[in-house]
Amino acid sequence: MAVREIEPIELELDRLEHMAESGYYNPYTLFDWPDAIEPDMPWMSESLTTLAGTPMWDELTREQQIALTKYEAINFFSLNIHGIRELMSEVVMRIHERTYANVSEFLHHFIGEENEHMWFFAQFCLRYGGKLYPAQPTLQADSVEHLSPVARELVVFARILIFEEIVDHYNAYMATDESLPHIAREINRVHHQDESRHVAFGRMIFTNLLGQVAKRDPAEVPLVAEYLENYLRYSIATLYNPAAYRDAGIPDALALRRRALEHPARHAAHERILKRTRTFLTKAGVGRELVK
Amino acid sequence: MQAVREFILDRNPKLERLDDDLDLIDSRAINSLAFVEFIFLLEELTGESIDPEDLDLDDFRTLNAIGARFLKQKAAS
Repeated sequence: MAVREIEPIELELDRLEHMAESGYYNPYTLFDWPDAIEPDMPWMSESLTTLAGTPMWDELTREQQIALTKYEAINFFSLNIHGIRELMSEVVMRIHERTYANVSEFLHHFIGEENEHMWFFAQFCLRYGGKLYPAQPTLQADSVEHLSPVARELVVFARILIFEEIVDHYNAYMATDESLPHIAREINRVHHQDESRHVAFGRMIFTNLLGQVAKRDPAEVPLVAEYLENYLRYSIATLYNPAAYRDAGIPDALALRRRALEHPARHAAHERILKRTRTFLTKAGVGRELVK
Repeated sequence: MQAVREFILDRNPKLERLDDDLDLIDSRAINSLAFVEFIFLLEELTGESIDPEDLDLDDFRTLNAIGARFLKQKAAS
């Protein structure tokens, strides 16, 4: 981490800090955890499963459909947990660096809230599903070695922002989906509420760091755009977990995953999931149209 | 092995040659973002599952290593 080459981050965060303080809650006592999830109820919205809108969904028995919502909910929350682990470790390493002195107050709220989210996601998975899915393997030799230190710093916060925005697309929908068990709705609702502040912060810090990248070398902006486009696609693909298909009793999980990822109805769904983020990136001047 | 080569070449259009002993990881022919897809491809080709929590990166480093660890094992079984 070479934050010395980065100019101090100055952001106007009073409003977000005030909201974090006034909206503070005790996650450990907030939820009323039932002993079990009602049978025959989907664990995540059927329209948000990775087979939604395709003949592959229609070919499943009702039992397989319900099982898929169960295991994809566990996969979704597991992805949240691993994403939070990554972002917390990155932010913890920066929180008292000089570059971040001005935003350190908000970062404390951020880490605290993310830790609490990780707890309630894990509670849900372990209580009702008995497991988490493991994190996907990563490589030490990373995909950002060709970028400057400031662009790599931008990528750290961009990954956090993109992850949060994708998750929020799901949370916002499931927070009010009456077909879901109450506890599943509540978890999505509470997370959606906190994440609106985190996304607002994420966009501010992203814009600041992107400005620093462009000022240092405008030619690097398309390289960042290319990385972000790849990261968006990677993030979408992690939702399609063959282990979840297998657990739901669906045969030929890897071939199914490939077919689903290529299906036009799923491409349209990916565009919907990423629409808000892509619009933001384009307005910021680092959208996919820059990718050659 | 042809499917493995195609996966790498598709993602690296600037790569002119793909030698069997090219270090795919250090050369970034397979980067972090592509690695998961690459594992799924190997699982599909071999019919064996690969535990993401128990990987030896050296098994993925070159085409030679991938052939020895994953593809020949299947031929022998």
